[in-house]
Amino acid sequence: MKPAPTLSSAFLEPGGQSLPAPLLELREQRGTALVDMPLPTRKTENWKYSSRHLKLSDELASTLPATGKDGLSLSLPGYRVVFHNGVMIPEASDFPDLDGIRIQRFADLDDDEAAGLAERLDNTLDTRAVQMARLNSARFEDGLYIQLDKEAVLDQPLFIVHEVTGTASGSAYPRIYVDAARHSQITVVEEYLSSGAEPVMVDTVTEFVLGDGAQVTNVRLVMEGENVQHIGATGVRQASNSRFESHCVGFGGPLRRHDLMVRLEGEGGECKLNGVVVTQGKQHYDNHTSIEHVAAHCNSEETYRNIAADESHAVFNGRIHIHEDAQKSNANMNNKNLLLSTGAEIDTKPELEIYADDVKCAHGATIGQLDKISLFYLVSRGIGRREANTLLTMAFINELVEQIPVQAVKDAAQLRLNDFFDQTFQEA
Amino acid sequence: MLSIKNLHASVEGEEILKGINLEIKAGEVHAIMGPNGSGKSTLSQVLAGNETFEVTEGEITLNGENLLDLETEERAREGIFLAFQYPVEIPGVSNLQFLRTAVNAMRTHRGEPEMNAAEFMKLAKEVSKQVDLDPAFLKRGVNEGFSGGEKKRNEILQALLLQPKLAILDETDSGLDIDALQVVSKGVNALRAKDRAILMVTHYQRLLNHIVPDHVHVLAGGKIVKSGGRELALELEERGYGWLGVKDEEATPSAAS
Ligand SMILES: Nc1ncnc2c1ncn2[C@@H]1O[C@H](COP(=O)(O)OP(=O)(O)O)[C@@H](O)[C@H]1O
Ligand SMILES: [Mg+2]
Repeated sequence: MKPAPTLSSAFLEPGGQSLPAPLLELREQRGTALVDMPLPTRKTENWKYSSRHLKLSDELASTLPATGKDGLSLSLPGYRVVFHNGVMIPEASDFPDLDGIRIQRFADLDDDEAAGLAERLDNTLDTRAVQMARLNSARFEDGLYIQLDKEAVLDQPLFIVHEVTGTASGSAYPRIYVDAARHSQITVVEEYLSSGAEPVMVDTVTEFVLGDGAQVTNVRLVMEGENVQHIGATGVRQASNSRFESHCVGFGGPLRRHDLMVRLEGEGGECKLNGVVVTQGKQHYDNHTSIEHVAAHCNSEETYRNIAADESHAVFNGRIHIHEDAQKSNANMNNKNLLLSTGAEIDTKPELEIYADDVKCAHGATIGQLDKISLFYLVSRGIGRREANTLLTMAFINELVEQIPVQAVKDAAQLRLNDFFDQTFQEA
Repeated sequence: MLSIKNLHASVEGEEILKGINLEIKAGEVHAIMGPNGSGKSTLSQVLAGNETFEVTEGEITLNGENLLDLETEERAREGIFLAFQYPVEIPGVSNLQFLRTAVNAMRTHRGEPEMNAAEFMKLAKEVSKQVDLDPAFLKRGVNEGFSGGEKKRNEILQALLLQPKLAILDETDSGLDIDALQVVSKGVNALRAKDRAILMVTHYQRLLNHIVPDHVHVLAGGKIVKSGGRELALELEERGYGWLGVKDEEATPSAAS
């Protein structure tokens, strides 16, 4: 038998020179643990559809240089933090100093704060299950540490823009840690963009820790180019009566992978996870979500929609784990899939592990095509094929797009969707 | 306006229409009657261009143009409108958006500027009143959760908005109570015009009390077996289809099913 492939040592070169000592130490420790890390293969259950799309050539191991340019002409309402190639660019960022809210790049943390963060980093993630997050922990060059004191409220969304520049091959490891103390509130928007054409990998990790009654909304928009492999992990831990909302909108690429793990650890916690994925060409998109009902009386509500055109491939794996003590849990998971061509493929799998007896847990998954009779009805009114198909496809995701709480993201997503419709649908 | 010659159509290899001939002139109202399963809806759907049905022989022209060469949307833009026997529910597409997209597609085809949202809203509200449909229905998904009668009124609403040259109404009267029938008839009568033809498909006579046809045809077994004036409809009401040698599944054609 061929030995399982392991991570190339090229990925373990030293780095992180601008990090404060405690974080640098942590990074090195994590790096040491990665020596001989087996890479996911077809036999790795949670990577079985995606391992062949993961291409970790040695060129990708070089850390992309921080360019410092402000390549983004987006004028975003709200506050803004810009990362280029995994490093924060202060000149391009714009956010206020507010009472009870600290938004700091890792490089700017003093040793005490950095030591505090080093203790917590990774504590929302089961790193055995999210293999590639471990690589981030060993490779991050910078990051953003957001702390909200109790009852602090960020009055506008915070946009975190991650741009990678594919002028040369390499990789970037953005890292965000959000500590939302009790009854604090924040909306964090992550936008992933790219320029250039050389092969690039983005391996990104975002963590949220919610105190009692905290309310956190996370909007994630993945729109990098065809040269970018995007691998992301989001870890969430929720204390009592906290509420976490996630709205993910993703467009495909050679590899798009997102692991979203939520742990409901205090009674009365609630999470709502929405996702819209659109793929075309030969793109590949893989969403793995996991909701752990650890405490009793928690609600989770998950709705994901995949749309796959051409010869693209989308994967949804939704795990719900209700622990023994999590009585009166209420979990609802729904995944609907739309195939726009006979060459497209969608794989969907619910994974339910229920160890408590007094719970409500509902799940449903469907895979279908656009309805021919609906299409005929629309065109019989003079509506062109392209527009009719567009209306029906939008109908499939409208409900989720409408729920995105940030207008600028809705607009950006809609523009990108319009391109997709133009490329996918023809007049008769 | 519409000329159908020796039309044959089949579905899944089975012939349903077996040589239909029909001439309709501008300004006329024709009624096609016939027992269930005789092919009335098939004829309507074939005229609108439903590809489920294959035309195997014959021709259809609209003002001299070969209709069978046109896609469904092109036929609609040339003025064919079909009020469906079973209007389709499309959750997620608002009725208002659907109607405006349709109206603007027609306007673009005619080289007219599109209507903006506000202009269209005003128009749609007026026409809703004409068919006694609460404007709240504009906000709902297309036909989503509409009752049978509401769906039929929504079809007439579309006909009034799109102003077709030929309106084909497939059982627009079925499933309506007396009040709704009045409203729908009023809508259909409002469609009557010198330059427009109406083809009403029904197996009841009662709509014909409200909308008086110029010609009545009996469709049976995929063929028109008899044509006449409006008195033919009355005769069918009295005598059923039996005297025409047509097997009639229902006791009388006016009996509610
Ligand atoms: N989509 C279809 N697939 C198979 N058979 C059909 C289809 N549509 C209609 N038919 C058949 O064609 C015949 C005529 O149906 P239809 O045109 O609906 O009659 P009517 O409208 O007069 O009641 C019936 O025997 C019906 O079963
Ligand atoms: Mg019928």
